Amino acid sequence: MSDALAAQLAAIVGERRVLERAGELRSYESDGLPGYQKRPSLAVFPGTREETISVVRALAASGAPFVARGAGTGLSGGSLADGVVLLGLHRLKRIISIDGDNARAVVEPGVVNATLTAAASEYGLHYAPDPSSQTACTIGGNVAENAGGPHCLKYGVTLNHVIALTVVLPGGDVVTLGNAEGEDDGLDLLGAFVGSEGCFGVVLDATVRLVRNPEAVRTLLADFHSVDAAAHAVSAIIASGIVAAALEMMDAATINAVEASIYAAGYPTDAAAILLIDLDGAAAGLDDDAGRVSAFCTAAGARSVRTATDPAERARLWQGRKKAFGAMGRISSHLVVQDAVVPRTKLPAMLAAIGEIGTRHRVSVCNVFHAGDGNLHPNIGYNSDDPDESARVHAAMGEIMQACIDAGGTITGEHGVGLDKLAYMEALFTPPTLRAMCDLRQVFDPERRANPGKVVPVHSCREWHAAPAARR
Amino acid sequence: MARGAGGTPMSATTLADQVRHARANHHTLRICGAGTWLSAGRPAATTGTLDLSGHTGIVEYVPGDLTLTARAGTSLTEIASATRAEGHWLALDPHGAGAGTIGATVATASFGPLASAFGTPRDHVLGCEFVSGTGDVIRAGGRVVKNVAGFDLVRLTTGAWGTLGAITEVSLRLRARPEADETLVVAIGSELKEAFAARVATWMRTSALTPFAAELVSPTLARQLGHDGGALMLRWGGNASFASAAATEAATLGDSTRARETAWTDLARAEPVGAVVFRASTLPSRLPALWARASSFAEGAGGFAHASVSRGIVRVVVPTEGSSPDAVRKGIQDLASTCTLVCEQAGATLWPMFDCTRSSDALRAGVKRAFDPDGVMNPGLLGLP
Repeated sequence: MSDALAAQLAAIVGERRVLERAGELRSYESDGLPGYQKRPSLAVFPGTREETISVVRALAASGAPFVARGAGTGLSGGSLADGVVLLGLHRLKRIISIDGDNARAVVEPGVVNATLTAAASEYGLHYAPDPSSQTACTIGGNVAENAGGPHCLKYGVTLNHVIALTVVLPGGDVVTLGNAEGEDDGLDLLGAFVGSEGCFGVVLDATVRLVRNPEAVRTLLADFHSVDAAAHAVSAIIASGIVAAALEMMDAATINAVEASIYAAGYPTDAAAILLIDLDGAAAGLDDDAGRVSAFCTAAGARSVRTATDPAERARLWQGRKKAFGAMGRISSHLVVQDAVVPRTKLPAMLAAIGEIGTRHRVSVCNVFHAGDGNLHPNIGYNSDDPDESARVHAAMGEIMQACIDAGGTITGEHGVGLDKLAYMEALFTPPTLRAMCDLRQVFDPERRANPGKVVPVHSCREWHAAPAARR
Repeated sequence: MARGAGGTPMSATTLADQVRHARANHHTLRICGAGTWLSAGRPAATTGTLDLSGHTGIVEYVPGDLTLTARAGTSLTEIASATRAEGHWLALDPHGAGAGTIGATVATASFGPLASAFGTPRDHVLGCEFVSGTGDVIRAGGRVVKNVAGFDLVRLTTGAWGTLGAITEVSLRLRARPEADETLVVAIGSELKEAFAARVATWMRTSALTPFAAELVSPTLARQLGHDGGALMLRWGGNASFASAAATEAATLGDSTRARETAWTDLARAEPVGAVVFRASTLPSRLPALWARASSFAEGAGGFAHASVSRGIVRVVVPTEGSSPDAVRKGIQDLASTCTLVCEQAGATLWPMFDCTRSSDALRAGVKRAFDPDGVMNPGLLGLP
């Protein structure tokens, strides 16, 4: 990357906000997923919308590839690439407005997910998508990844909560996607943009829907002697028509990791699996639903079903779930938090298959996941400095992904493809479908400079043989 | 157009061959399922038709997964009857008859009052197969309820009116039927319609009892549904305790009576043939004022209106018989200056009134070119070549 570009960017954002030295760039070499290290050539941190637009235009003028990044909590190796300009957006953290009457907020991309919910609380509202990283991850990153979370079972994922976006395209044009003041007509470019993993442009502001805080919540903890029994309870609850706000499963390995940590939530350590279930909404009828859910668990073989009696107990039960990944950090130096989805009826068979694959590759898999959605998170703790162990982890993950595809599922439900899942895209999609994805990307980013090399394997693209790679 | 002859459905490859053949011979194609939307008047001049009416049938329905995959020509009635047998439903109630196809519903992103609680087709479609304007068979999304693998071609195709390709198959998210599903009709009485709408809007913002649907109906429509004067139709689902609390709460809004069994299907099929139908939308907080204006216009022109309160959408229906074209034109112009208008059906001369330009139009044209470079599929729709 040329010094001229660095000087140009410094003129826009100030010298302190441009990093060039290898030591300074080190923090930006990886994200939340171990195993990938990519070094940007420089990093730039605009502080305002205008600076961001100017930076993107300067990058366009010089033909520099770039990667946008929020808090760097991504779990697919999405916000890193070698030799690019890293465009850090965490300084754009203004909540521009909250409109209580219309239950929405306009925020800059660097606003932290949980910060928005905290700000919305005085209106009796919250931002519903709640990834486990919500105390750190940003709305811009959530939009890029179409992030989910436990409570998306009832309330929907990021896509369902974005009303409109102002975006600067990689070429420097600023466009509005969606319609903040009414229906959006015609091609759903907003829907196409959400989850485009930074390949279509950079969000300048997002108008998002806020959800009313429920009048009442019931949190249930059911413990089971087998994963299979817990999975059957999940099926029975879903089939009943009761829409749980969240329906989470943790297996024995996860339970024990949590209980051995500072996040100990009082989970039964001798259980093979637990279900953590939130029911929320109007108080009227909620206890009836809780009673039925409890009965479904018991009928499926639950040893006990406990209901949190106060908000403190509820918070404690949930903290164990949300911090489960952190708890696993005590056990090993690195943790792969995987992400895949299978049809809900395939959960028991898939969990068995995952166990078998782990045993065969001599890696220990623990599962903590959104059972109500069939969204698995098989996690493997390991030491990434050990090449043999890393290879075994990689092989096991590959087999797990293939098993999910074979079961009619998908390779990611909420973390994105990034770098980590590129290899599986061809097993999931046909060549014409991958080509169509490339063609769509090309519309937003004709030079393929925004987050280059992500989501779709380059050789799947129609232009691969015809066109040169992005200008360097 | 008649429904399919009932023969074996064509494969997507056969349909793709037809598109490739049309492209090679410089033909253009109008995509046609049940043919319901052809009368929408949206200007599209084509030299041929891609007929999907025979491309019917449910491909896969796994009740335990609450997902269903059907070919595009499958009727909404067939899907409703298959899912009802398992205590499930597709919580989507677009206007029109049940003979309408799932392919057209998704392609046009059609919805009805249930969208208040369950969203529009983009919130129900998990995956789709479509034949693009280049004759490629593209399989986007999947059959699971959560999926972020790859760029979202599903959302892109949903509501694209076939301009990028012909949807040949869709996978849908179903829901289990609630224990109780009840509709109450609250009479507006002598209250001014804006004041009543404002009261309903406030109540919806603050009540914990979120309805499946809350639809204001203007007097003419209310009469068709068996009620005198304007009304609010409230639909609730949940368990028995919830339904009983909801009924109590509805009573605080005004005189309430139980709706007749067919109220929602009657609403969905209320508009006269050939009517001008469009939706006016705004911020939900501005809905009461918009409701007053739009419903007065509609009733004044011999039609009717209904509004989804929490979504800020008023649907206006004006018959072409007996209403003055100039008055209709003026009414549309007046509304257009204060809100967003989306047209469902109108005569070819009225369509241009609903066009708007926006900052992303170059992108839209680019997407069209990427999927249908020669403008084979439904050319002219959505203002795309």
